[in-house]
Amino acid sequence: MSFLRSIWVMYWRQLLRFWRLKSRVLGSVITPVIWLVFFGMGWSSLFNSPMASKLFGGLDYITFLAPGILMMSVFTASFVSGVSVILDKERGFMKELLVAPASRAGSIVGRSLGDATTAIVQGLLILALSLPLASGIKLGGIPLAAVSAFLVGLTFSGVGIFLALRIRSMEGFQVIMNLIMLPLLFLSGAFFPIDGLPGWMKVLSLVNPMTYGVDLARWSLVGVSSFGPGLDLAVLGAVAALSLFIAAFCYERATLE
Amino acid sequence: MQAVRAEGLTKRFGNLTAVDGVTFSVREGEIFGFLGPNGAGKTTTINMLITLLRPTAGEAWVAGHSVLREPREVRRRIGVVFQDPSLDRDLTGRENLVLHGLAYGMGREEIRGRISELLEFVELTPFADRQVKTYSGGMVRRLEIARALVHDPDILFLDEPTLGLDPQTRARIWDYISRLRREEGTTIFMTTHYMDEAEALCDRVAIIDHGRIVALGPPEELKASLGSDVVYVEGEGDLEALGRSVVDAGLAADFSLSGGELRLRVRSASAAIPRILELASALGIRVGEVTYRRPSLGDVFLHLTGRRLRDEEASPPRPLRGVRRRFS
Repeated sequence: MSFLRSIWVMYWRQLLRFWRLKSRVLGSVITPVIWLVFFGMGWSSLFNSPMASKLFGGLDYITFLAPGILMMSVFTASFVSGVSVILDKERGFMKELLVAPASRAGSIVGRSLGDATTAIVQGLLILALSLPLASGIKLGGIPLAAVSAFLVGLTFSGVGIFLALRIRSMEGFQVIMNLIMLPLLFLSGAFFPIDGLPGWMKVLSLVNPMTYGVDLARWSLVGVSSFGPGLDLAVLGAVAALSLFIAAFCYERATLE
Repeated sequence: MQAVRAEGLTKRFGNLTAVDGVTFSVREGEIFGFLGPNGAGKTTTINMLITLLRPTAGEAWVAGHSVLREPREVRRRIGVVFQDPSLDRDLTGRENLVLHGLAYGMGREEIRGRISELLEFVELTPFADRQVKTYSGGMVRRLEIARALVHDPDILFLDEPTLGLDPQTRARIWDYISRLRREEGTTIFMTTHYMDEAEALCDRVAIIDHGRIVALGPPEELKASLGSDVVYVEGEGDLEALGRSVVDAGLAADFSLSGGELRLRVRSASAAIPRILELASALGIRVGEVTYRRPSLGDVFLHLTGRRLRDEEASPPRPLRGVRRRFS
């Protein structure tokens, strides 16, 4: 009972915060849109030969890119909100959470669910904005893309929480952002197909959970996939569960030391 | 039943022993204070009692449950106001209280009623729907007191409840604390390094220094143990010789010198001061100022440890009479 209640309380809190900070959320939508417009349209105008189109599974580049940008925003949003545990630590709210009789595992699961939910909202906003630019997007694929966004959101919110419980300062957070987020993004297939990558890079891509999220979103929205939706879903589900489990385990043992 | 019982409670951080085997108990319905300078181990003790730190040794029971073996039972029965702010600043005051109630398993209806009552109690009703980041320091502290009470705890823990607050807010918070005990019968465990706060609020005080309890009892009893008055003499000359001769003359129980000021424990200041002045002039001491007051808990601390309660104070106090108040 306490477990379910904790999930609900933290879920609600994360949504409330999201609502209170909605102006900040709008700001976070700008970056992906800039990518889509300038990076996307820029390359699209160069990649307009039939040869190039074959590289992107028969799509024009911006249509290929749009699901990638969607997942990029989901990934960034959930990771950052996971790491915002640091903010709770710095502002002391963490102590209020730790001293409550609620289930800690539940509170972490609720937090991740909340982060994933808000990440989807941001993702859908991006997707709506990319519709006029990327002509080939199938609206019917949106529910499955949302599932993919949800699982990626859960995974990286969990990773963010796990890291945040170990980092002491916001400075450490900046380092992590650069050291982890950018490589994960570039190795995810969001910006280019991973099929033709050099061997070592391809291996890194294949162990990156983001890759499967991007692949699933691309399959559902524009019908192009490297692995097929079944494998994507299986990998994402397993990784999300593992990530949540580890985050909850670490949080369960957290004290003030 | 005892509300809190600690036996040999100890916490070490590496080489540093922050809390060194403290044993005490808090009775149900009393206001119990931990009084000591910064770094004496007050916050560490609280953190062990509220299950946020594991003791290195010893054991404690809060509301009848072991902090080691039944932390969740303890958490359910206590309310905590931390020394540093611990609110979600981006949410409103009311939202902070609602979240707290939900986390403690209360129903929405129950929470609503309790919150409006508590917002009245801490006089924040008009500000309840503003984001906490717009609150002043005093409002934050009052909201935190309200939050700690939402689930109607048996024991309220307050860690330096008036630290850094202005005099008016301090007086208000003192009022809340005494009303809580009077009207609700809540047991209160508080830490402070303000002796006037401990004297004004606490039924019993444990004086803590370097992680150890050096005295424990009702403020009146602790002060009575020093004799009835304390006389301070400031002047030019051999104050130590003056101290000795005053004690030899049987006027004072003992004396101490700190910061160029002679401190004498006497039975009655009005009878002793003329004789002290005679002795001073006989010794050729030019007396600058003589003051006296009834002993405070600060004097008890000075007597027991040889140091002032607040070491950062460069100049000793020169009060005229009565209780000294110091706001910072």
